Amino acid sequence: MFSARIIGNQLGNLVKIILVLYVQFVYAGAADYVYTTAIEQGERELGLKLGSAAPVDGSGQQVAGIGLGYGVTDHWFTELYLKQEHNGRARATLAEWENKWLLTETGQYLLDLGMLAELEVPLSGAAPWELRVGPLLQTEIGKFQLNGNLLFVRAFGMKDESGVPFSTNLASQWQIKYRWKPSLEFGMQGLGEFGKWDSWSQPAAQSHRMGPALFGKISLGHRQAIKYNAAWLVGVSAAAPAHTLRTQLEYEF
Amino acid sequence: MKTIFLIALLFPFAALAADYTLVIKDHRFEPAELIVPSGVKFKLVIDNQDATPEEFDSHALNREKVIGANSRITLYLGPLDAGRYPFDGELHEARGVLIVR
Repeated sequence: MFSARIIGNQLGNLVKIILVLYVQFVYAGAADYVYTTAIEQGERELGLKLGSAAPVDGSGQQVAGIGLGYGVTDHWFTELYLKQEHNGRARATLAEWENKWLLTETGQYLLDLGMLAELEVPLSGAAPWELRVGPLLQTEIGKFQLNGNLLFVRAFGMKDESGVPFSTNLASQWQIKYRWKPSLEFGMQGLGEFGKWDSWSQPAAQSHRMGPALFGKISLGHRQAIKYNAAWLVGVSAAAPAHTLRTQLEYEF
Repeated sequence: MKTIFLIALLFPFAALAADYTLVIKDHRFEPAELIVPSGVKFKLVIDNQDATPEEFDSHALNREKVIGANSRITLYLGPLDAGRYPFDGELHEARGVLIVR
């Protein structure tokens, strides 16, 4: 009884520390995560994603989202997120509808192939609609799992805030993970933004971030589990935020 | 080089070993220990003969898949190093192990 109270107090303190960290670091796409081809039929997920990035142009970003996902079939997963973004003083509430398809059987080919289509719709604020579409690739070598995704990102509307017409941009995601044990896996991940898909920006204007990541799953039995993944991404190009802290916590049931 | 990469991507490994089968009956895997060869890709067919679904789960094999009642699935596994790869049925606590030699 006494131990439970001590553990409860320690967990409370841990939550406070995490919240303080989030308040201090923030940026655009701060809660973005690397999509994988893993899909499980009938699996329901209650997800929480949080991201915070240091400012690049004087205004950092904080993102918090809560979502509900469902594995409709062995090859189609759909998830609806409600999220709030703070970009400096600007604040926007958005709905995000993620759909992921597995186009091959896991392990049958050298690479597992999936497809992502994600639509982001503003519920408040002046943000445009945004569509992300692209292939998801995954393979495994021994206990290592590798992911690489190419995403085409298109905002809808005539022009952005600075008067520049929207274009279709190219983004990349990669991840390497050592599957040490279920509750703790570790690796590296990176997120890149190249500019227009057919005419990349100058290197200094591209945004590339990479850094260490932790993953894990704690089984609660009877098909229930807590999954987490978190990464500390460091900007490796001038246009990227110096630091991004992103996490995703999921309750599977 | 590009052609080789595309061929590798589009076609399964040619060196697929024979299929192996696991049966789920009365919420148990049969056999509970299955021996497979190391260093080759192979198909593992899981035949659920129970009237309830089961979920094959193995962190060691990096696979998690639901098998409907009275139905079967195919997993594509390997090449694996020699060793023991435990798996379980998450819904009914069945246990088993793949022994790779």
